[in-house]
Amino acid sequence: MELTRRDFLKASAAAAAFAAAGAPVLAPRIAEAADDKGIKWDKAPCRYCGVGCCVLVGVKNGKIVATKGDPAGPVNKGLNCIKGYFLSKALYGKDRLTHPLIRKGNKMVKASWDEALDLIASKYKEAIAKTGPDSVAIYGSGQWTVFEGYTAVKLFKGGIGTNNVEPNARLCMASAVVAFMNTFGSDEPMGCYDDLDLGDTFILWGANMAEAHPVLFSRLIDNKLKNPKVKIIDIATRRTRTTQMADDYIPMYPQGDLAALNGIAHVILRDKLYDEAFVAKHVSFKRGTENQPYGLKDKEAAGDKPENIDFAKYKELMKPFTPEWAEKLSGIPAAKIEELAKLYTDKSRKVNTLWTMGVNQHVRGVWVNNLIYNLHLLTGKIGKKGENPLSLTGQPSACGTAREVGTFAHRLPADMVVMNEAHRKKTAEIWKIDPAKISPKVGLHTIEMYRAIDRGELKCLWIQCTNPFQSIPNLSRYRKAAEARKAFIVVSEIYPTKSTEVADVILPSACWVEKEGMYGNTERRNQQWFKMVEPPGQAKEDTWQLIEFAKRLGLGHLFPYSQKGFYKEMWEEYRSFTIGTGKDLAPYETYFKVRGLRWPVKANGQETRWRYVDFDDPYVKPGEGLKFYKAPGNKASIWYRPYEPPAESPDKEYPFWYCTGRLLEHWHTATMTGRVPELKRAMPGATLEIHPEDAARLGIKNRDKVKVSSRRGSIILTAEINGRGKPEKGNVFTTFFDETKLINDLCIDAFDPISKEPDFKKCAVKIEKA
Amino acid sequence: MGSEGSTHTGISRRLFLKGSILTPLALALGGAAISAVYLRPAQAQGFYLRPPGAMEEKRFLAACVKCGKCAQVCPYHSILMAGGEAGVGIGTPFIVPRENPCYLCPDLPCIKACPSGALDKKLTEIEKIQMGTAVIIDREGCLSIRGLRCEVCYRQCPLIDKAITIENRHNSRTGEHTIMEPVIHKEKCVGCGICEKVCVREKPVIVIQRRVQEQKDFYEF
Repeated sequence: MELTRRDFLKASAAAAAFAAAGAPVLAPRIAEAADDKGIKWDKAPCRYCGVGCCVLVGVKNGKIVATKGDPAGPVNKGLNCIKGYFLSKALYGKDRLTHPLIRKGNKMVKASWDEALDLIASKYKEAIAKTGPDSVAIYGSGQWTVFEGYTAVKLFKGGIGTNNVEPNARLCMASAVVAFMNTFGSDEPMGCYDDLDLGDTFILWGANMAEAHPVLFSRLIDNKLKNPKVKIIDIATRRTRTTQMADDYIPMYPQGDLAALNGIAHVILRDKLYDEAFVAKHVSFKRGTENQPYGLKDKEAAGDKPENIDFAKYKELMKPFTPEWAEKLSGIPAAKIEELAKLYTDKSRKVNTLWTMGVNQHVRGVWVNNLIYNLHLLTGKIGKKGENPLSLTGQPSACGTAREVGTFAHRLPADMVVMNEAHRKKTAEIWKIDPAKISPKVGLHTIEMYRAIDRGELKCLWIQCTNPFQSIPNLSRYRKAAEARKAFIVVSEIYPTKSTEVADVILPSACWVEKEGMYGNTERRNQQWFKMVEPPGQAKEDTWQLIEFAKRLGLGHLFPYSQKGFYKEMWEEYRSFTIGTGKDLAPYETYFKVRGLRWPVKANGQETRWRYVDFDDPYVKPGEGLKFYKAPGNKASIWYRPYEPPAESPDKEYPFWYCTGRLLEHWHTATMTGRVPELKRAMPGATLEIHPEDAARLGIKNRDKVKVSSRRGSIILTAEINGRGKPEKGNVFTTFFDETKLINDLCIDAFDPISKEPDFKKCAVKIEKA
Repeated sequence: MGSEGSTHTGISRRLFLKGSILTPLALALGGAAISAVYLRPAQAQGFYLRPPGAMEEKRFLAACVKCGKCAQVCPYHSILMAGGEAGVGIGTPFIVPRENPCYLCPDLPCIKACPSGALDKKLTEIEKIQMGTAVIIDREGCLSIRGLRCEVCYRQCPLIDKAITIENRHNSRTGEHTIMEPVIHKEKCVGCGICEKVCVREKPVIVIQRRVQEQKDFYEF
């Protein structure tokens, strides 16, 4: 370890040379031993969102005393948002969990690691023996390091023999993943953050980048400051801080995106604004299954059976989707739809689409993703410098771990799936196990996992690095099931949360730089860090917890890594999945020296900024131009996806749309940011944003207490009128960070039938003065 | 009737009266600790932040009967009563925004409760309040001005985009980001102090100060 760390420091010394060469390897001045205040600095990615800002962590006397944006980090060039500014404080809350706890009736009692792990192993063994491996599960996170996710997948899919492995990324990126796969044959974006600097037209669909991707938004706005041509169009159901800086705000009805995107495509087809040659060379046409259910019933069967169609058929199918039709369903005036079509097809403009949860957390989320790609594929505005669709992520390793390692119920590493025999065979070879050990049956997806607890079918669940008993929709059903002790629940955490409340065993975990790790951000950038401080008390990292558990199940042989070379050996094994797939990762040591590398990493160690193009991607030969080499026949898919209504819409009794989301000061369920006094002071609790006219009609004044109720629950919130966010009339908005306000009680647990991602953005509520 | 009427505020009249006698007494006797907590911030800024609608300071001191009714009705307990340190202002109401700012109740209960007219009953719109004005006193300490994505004061400002706006400018240090600087518009800022309360720095870089009288001349720019 000492040697490798020295490598990093050595590389830092060469900073000037690299910077001059314009290489991606930029390194700052890092104190070799310690700076004049006795602080040792080392690099890490930020612990919070999917932007993946590079930070420097200052350690003195075994404690993190400071963090700062890394000036050499290409993502953020030394900047952070306010969460990142207070990063170190997230680890030092007074109530850090420091020893294992076991439930004895209503009390959690201190226990040793051996007691806790023996108990967990005996419960899992018992369940597996009695009801089979599919009656146990693990629920992880897009905040798992690559090592943690990989350990979980290998243990459960390759050892225990169940695909009941899910990440909380099911709640945020699953729709994006399916659309990447069914459009391009490979997950994750072709473009990168450089497009934000190089493009001139940015169309945001339901994304409040100003708050959810703060530093990236600062970069986007800088492009606008430099270039008067830059246009930012914000299409949303709520005016936000993003709207404030956009050139145009286009209000839309919830679910209206399906209609608006089809309306735009209709105009492109009607006026022959598409790129005929591009479409002929790079695109095939498909139609999926329509009128599928919304997953409101347990075990409801659904899926997507694609049918190949041709361009003529597609054009014919798209004929009814006129701008006037789109206006009715989306609320966007037909003239605006025409205008957007002109913008998307303007040959003098470099058009980028940006989206995140507004599109993904959607009962037809895969469809909306598909419809966005349709526009870029029809116009050929894709695979170019400064011109791409970019799906933004929310977690630091939603890409690097949840998606790439394959911690979903149907996935294996590097875009492989459990349903595919060849994929299982390749995986088994690398894992040195019998291919029969990997089940071909897709495991329980997130919502089904918690429903299976309620039904009494899932006996054991281990939750790591996430807080589902605050964050899943229709929360009270699942909290009640857990409180009724219908399953044995283990929670690995760093603080008490709404999930540790219902746990049978609580395990204290190491967090962030208390362990070695690797994260992968939105733009395919993997960033490695070393362990810099000891975790508090008896806290242990999640990989250690899982491997100790594996040993007790007789599966310790799956993790034959040496103590000294643990991370490197595991990385190299994992990396072998990626070699030759177009998702190639670099040897472990490479990451010590850089502020991350975007895959596929080339043979010469250089990263790839743009995929599928001959000027950058090593898998495309010079002269080939653009090649969707992961898609069947090298052709990306344009999908016919019509409009379908949401699972629940406002009516007389529940007349408002209820939308939930994030804000800048806190992150997710605020397990970390809630321990930072400055952030609590800045944003103490959830509010209910409501349009001033709606509020006036109901006699609600700013800061009044209001009761919000859906068919599933109700909650008292403080009204916020004309604040940072202003929902359109008939809409209300709240945030999910506040553990004293379980706003997900109200959300409907309807989900996309293809991606199984729930819709946190649309259900019906009523508002009363409390 | 009187005691019934006041029960909903949580303080009985008798208790309150007792308090209003005892508190200044306690302060006068040896309340250095209390005064250090409550009064220093206000004094440091050279003025007392008075409740909404307060008259000009000299007239306010003359008019206020020190009854404490405004403090009693404040739902956020933002209004405090000054102690001996305030000299002639002893027993007058004031606000320490860093501790508890004015949350601008739309119905202005403090003004309604004022029996003396020291808080002006003609003031009925919160946007017309003129308690003070926010000032960024430490630009070097302001994280937003340093290019970080903070702007907490802006997002929490009850008159967002009016009293505080964001001015974007290129961050030449990184070359590819925006400095999103909070800019205060004195004519719109009512001085509620929420920005001072929420500032994330240990010493708030944005604080409420006395409103500056407009100085007129003939230039139109």
